[in-house]
Amino acid sequence: MFFIYKSLAHPELAGNYVQPFTLDERLAHARQAEKQLGATVPWLVDAMDNRLKHALGDRANSEFIVDPKGIIVRKRAWSHPAEVRTDLEKLVGPVENITREEDVKLKLELPIKSAAARGVVPRLKRSEQMQAIVIVPKIDPKGPSFFAKLRAETDPDLFRDGAGKLYLGFHLDPLHEAHWNNLTKPLSFKLEVPEGVKIGKLSFESPPVMAPSDSDPREFLVDVENWPEGKSIRLSVIYYACVGKETCHTVKQEYEIHLERDRDAGKARGEGAGFWDAEGFARQNLARDKNGDGKLNKAEVQGLIVPHFESFDKNQDGLLDFEELKPVSDWLNHHHQPGTALSTPK
Amino acid sequence: MVPGVVFAQQKKKASEEDFVKEKPAVGDPFPDLVVYDPKGQEVKTSSLRGHYTVLTFGCLT
Repeated sequence: MFFIYKSLAHPELAGNYVQPFTLDERLAHARQAEKQLGATVPWLVDAMDNRLKHALGDRANSEFIVDPKGIIVRKRAWSHPAEVRTDLEKLVGPVENITREEDVKLKLELPIKSAAARGVVPRLKRSEQMQAIVIVPKIDPKGPSFFAKLRAETDPDLFRDGAGKLYLGFHLDPLHEAHWNNLTKPLSFKLEVPEGVKIGKLSFESPPVMAPSDSDPREFLVDVENWPEGKSIRLSVIYYACVGKETCHTVKQEYEIHLERDRDAGKARGEGAGFWDAEGFARQNLARDKNGDGKLNKAEVQGLIVPHFESFDKNQDGLLDFEELKPVSDWLNHHHQPGTALSTPK
Repeated sequence: MVPGVVFAQQKKKASEEDFVKEKPAVGDPFPDLVVYDPKGQEVKTSSLRGHYTVLTFGCLT
């Protein structure tokens, strides 16, 4: 069995991780995931062109069983441990001693802690409708690391009408353990736009921050009009990032921003990008109700809920109904906050 | 039934059924690609042949 490490499904969540720009960074993510989950299952890491994700249908969650000749013998849209067990018993035969969840003894660890305080700079709340677009960082192998990484999103109006909001967020990458140096000039960037594109202004500077350092993203919302497809906006950014107390870097980096949806960029989640709301979450999960009773039994739930099913089943009837599912979103939102342990829900 | 659930169920079911039918489907060869182990060593998916192999995509974030 292998876990596949691919592009992040929900950047900014569960430790404020951001999409890596290089294979080395993705490999570091995979090693961090290995460490955080503490499972003995080996990992395979997708290439930076996301070839495995693309070749296998681009879903965030899915599962394949391949026979000894390399032929796919099972395929499902969501991974499901109980169904995998049943499948393997049919394909390979039953086992004498079944490994239970508690036998695995996962050594769950916390995500990487931010290098400086978060919550210092208020987050820019962006619409749930915003979609990530393609950015191409200009990577200089001899240049400084991308301590801060750009994420660009647009609202659907920009695709439909050629006019709308462009979100530009510079997020510190926790893997580089850097923080902003607020004792010097704040982050600033310039845009170069194709002819005919209307944009409010071309130069931007983050407001000064009173605290000497922090790890919050620097975020901007820009009105754009007449952005033709196929023409990119160039962005050059300068910022000051420090690693530890001693080592500070002046960083100048460039990007091309394309008006093209990036289907590998994931849906950002977290403060600023939107947590799961209780009713929407419950409704979405009830869509997994296969037997039509309007409730979920343990075989019908997936993901992190599975090991905590009994804790959420308040009336202990072996089923989660709409009202019992609503608190799960709060728990997931809380659970995904950096610095909080994977604890059993109350 | 909670409002919106039926629509969400239909949409989700259709999307999941489409996914299962799409190529590569059951009976197709698993794509032969080069990926990596977490240390950066190349791994050919064809090298996984010889055993039953479960490959799981999930999300920690």
